[in-house]
Amino acid sequence: MELWLNYLDQVLIYATLALSLNLLLGYAGQVSVAHASFGAIGGYAMGYLSLTHNWNFLFGTVIGMALAFVIGSIVALPALKLTVEYLILLTLAVSSVILGLLIATPSMGGTFGLIGLPTANLFGWHLREPHDWVLPSLVAMLIVYAICHRIGESPTGRVLKGIREDPISTQALGKNVFGYKVAVFGISSALAAFAGALLAAWLQLATPSVYGFAFALTIFAIVIFGGMGNLTGTVLGAAVVVLLEPVLRRVVKIEAARASIVQLIVYGLALAVLMRVRPQGALPEGFSIWRWLRGERARRHRIEMVEGWVPKSIGVHERAQAEGVDDVSDEIDRHRKWLDAPVVLETSGVGKRFGGIVAANDLHIELRRGTIAALVGPNGAGKTTVFNLLTGAIAPDAGSVKLNGEELVGLNPAQVARKGLVRSFQDVRLFNRLSCLQNVMMAVQHQAGENFATLAFAHRRVVAVEEKTRTAAMDWLGFVGMTDFADVPAGALSYGQTKLVSLARVLATEAEVLLLDEPASGIDTRWVDTILDLIETVREQGRTVCVVEHNLHVVGRLADHTYFMELGEITAAGTIAELTNTPRLAEAYFGTS
Amino acid sequence: MILAVDAETLRQLTVDGFFRGCSYGLLGVGFALILGVTGRFHFAYGFTYTFAAYMAFTFTFRVDLPFWPSAVLGVLVAAVVGAAIERLVYRPLAANAGPTALLAVFVAALGLGIAGDNLVRLFWGSETQAYFGPTKKAYHVWDTVFLNFDVWQAASGIVITILLALTLRHTALGRRIKATRVNPDLARTIGIDADSTYVICFFLGTICAGVAAIWYALKFTVDPAMGSSPIIYAFVVAFLAGTARSPIRVFITGVLVALIEQYSSIWLSVRWTQTAVFVVLVGYLTVLAVRSSAFAARFRRPIMRA
Repeated sequence: MELWLNYLDQVLIYATLALSLNLLLGYAGQVSVAHASFGAIGGYAMGYLSLTHNWNFLFGTVIGMALAFVIGSIVALPALKLTVEYLILLTLAVSSVILGLLIATPSMGGTFGLIGLPTANLFGWHLREPHDWVLPSLVAMLIVYAICHRIGESPTGRVLKGIREDPISTQALGKNVFGYKVAVFGISSALAAFAGALLAAWLQLATPSVYGFAFALTIFAIVIFGGMGNLTGTVLGAAVVVLLEPVLRRVVKIEAARASIVQLIVYGLALAVLMRVRPQGALPEGFSIWRWLRGERARRHRIEMVEGWVPKSIGVHERAQAEGVDDVSDEIDRHRKWLDAPVVLETSGVGKRFGGIVAANDLHIELRRGTIAALVGPNGAGKTTVFNLLTGAIAPDAGSVKLNGEELVGLNPAQVARKGLVRSFQDVRLFNRLSCLQNVMMAVQHQAGENFATLAFAHRRVVAVEEKTRTAAMDWLGFVGMTDFADVPAGALSYGQTKLVSLARVLATEAEVLLLDEPASGIDTRWVDTILDLIETVREQGRTVCVVEHNLHVVGRLADHTYFMELGEITAAGTIAELTNTPRLAEAYFGTS
Repeated sequence: MILAVDAETLRQLTVDGFFRGCSYGLLGVGFALILGVTGRFHFAYGFTYTFAAYMAFTFTFRVDLPFWPSAVLGVLVAAVVGAAIERLVYRPLAANAGPTALLAVFVAALGLGIAGDNLVRLFWGSETQAYFGPTKKAYHVWDTVFLNFDVWQAASGIVITILLALTLRHTALGRRIKATRVNPDLARTIGIDADSTYVICFFLGTICAGVAAIWYALKFTVDPAMGSSPIIYAFVVAFLAGTARSPIRVFITGVLVALIEQYSSIWLSVRWTQTAVFVVLVGYLTVLAVRSSAFAARFRRPIMRA
């Protein structure tokens, strides 16, 4: 019995460490094979302080967590811009360095490590036997579970998933991607140190081999096995991985010497087979055992719902035509309106070179309130580069960008977005594994739940703000006519639908100025009308819009003012009629005269 | 800082570093070919290394073949196993896993590595065994000592690397591999069989590991855990050089890594030298991350995933 309780302790402790990794790996998409060595930091700090200073293991644990938090945050700095492969390499190197330092430090026991740690004393309760450890390790596991759940399933977790899916578009919605990555790396490392200290206290030793590469890979395997982004799966994974050995030994009668070898063979093959059968892990993200037991199965989203679906027609254009507004007088009308409108965004002398290539030269662009400006020009003219320069994705070499008189040059895309200048992307860049509603909710600004401190101390505010966020996001989904798709993952939508959701997402930021990169390209005519109607409605609401567009019909319908761009320079501006009637521009654009 | 060694020791360190580096370089060349072209995080590479040494060992002592045929057979059998892993495990797995393929392959490879190492234990025993092949000879040149195995190792490493570089540059197979490396999907559309190219890369990459393993076994011993350190070095060297770079560049990087390791023993005690390599690696990655725009151009995959 004691033997099985011992395994139970081990399951709980391994699960604690694996949970901390899942927060990082499953939610934020940041791979770390260094979590065992962050555990080592906790274990060694606790062990060293209890051996040499007779500190209670709880205090040592706190010190170890603080240390791991700092080191983890530092590791996150280079990790910020790396892909999965390089993260694996970086964290592998970091963990080798940490273990190497521990081995090479005589006061840490060198190769032998710290052995013979005193029995853990929990407020006078000496944890000696396996059954003593069951309750404390269960509580420890539940605490870490709760913390990971709290973060992962909150608005903050939504941002983390956004970073996982697409860091660039997360940043374009005003999120401080840098800060979140560093914070989640630090928190996850601190939790790993907590679990590592627990492991050392339980084993009564902290040695390099305990926290070695094999352990690191076991923890990693537990998370993948259980399912990334599913905390219950991680606990299940820990149970399976740890209990495999004793169960095998009971079921298959083999001599002791060979048992561990056979067990490792089975374990290794089982990992490979499991990845083959269920690459997303035993329990996929978003799967809840409780909901499943209660019979709530995830609704299957029928393909025909996506394929046969037609966008609602707003009919602004038809109405206008029915009212007898002819195109010519409409255009003169819009031109007059442009001239009267106040300037919201103004660039002067903006330029950017990449080596010898001039991507943008001396740009003077004005965007005026309640109007739509269009940026047209041949492919490669630098239209998208203009958006990158305006939003801070690329820093200009010269010039200034002023939004309501405030300088934007020098700010990063997230800061620019928070000032009220938000862009959409030509290639849409939705968060594919998040639902449409979540995609739009991510865009809503000023969310209390996106802050770690508020999350910890102001639960009610988080809930209240989240409710408001949801309502706002539903409204915007409704505006583009996509209410029915609120629960559908964005990855399952048709291309035209992703354009609609992407528009809703931009609108939900409530930004004053919207930069839309080819909002109506690549979709059929019926859809184009819907999207143009929506954009016109947005203009009527008093927002300032700038579109990059190739389709001159679209530009002709939408634009109150058009800038013509060639080779990084704006060579003409005016109404679209003026531009198309200039023979030289027509030739530059169409290639014919 | 004062150089705490005389010229003689320095020469010996350089020679040792060079020969060791030839092994790192060859491991890196094989791993870079696999990772760079197929994108598979083949952590079972260490197992194929061990397996090659044990197969050669078996052909020599159980089948009583002379050394050279058994070495060649051992490497080839391991290469077939490497190719089979891609064909039978990674490919169906990746097809099933979709966007999470990289991590799924990584974990499956870990599993295969663990299972493989223990299969070796089960069949050949856990103990370290000496591999007596050709007679060991020591050469004394310029106050330095090295073995005939060292020379063979360096020669085979350099020859394989150059052959591979020539193959990549001048043959149809090379063009096919490079096209697949740049973009497998695009390669498929112009009629290149990307799947079988992957298998070929696994075969060739495993040959590199196998050859390195044979010399290690002769110089030292065979043991079931012998692949655990080479896989790390293969990994480090391949990434430092850039997985999409020429084999020659990867090989030279391997030599440099070994030299850093050797020279660091001048100032640091031996137990710190491996740590020193990883410190250099962390520093290097940090610099690359900071200059990530320059970084992105060097590798097949973009740094920021779309």
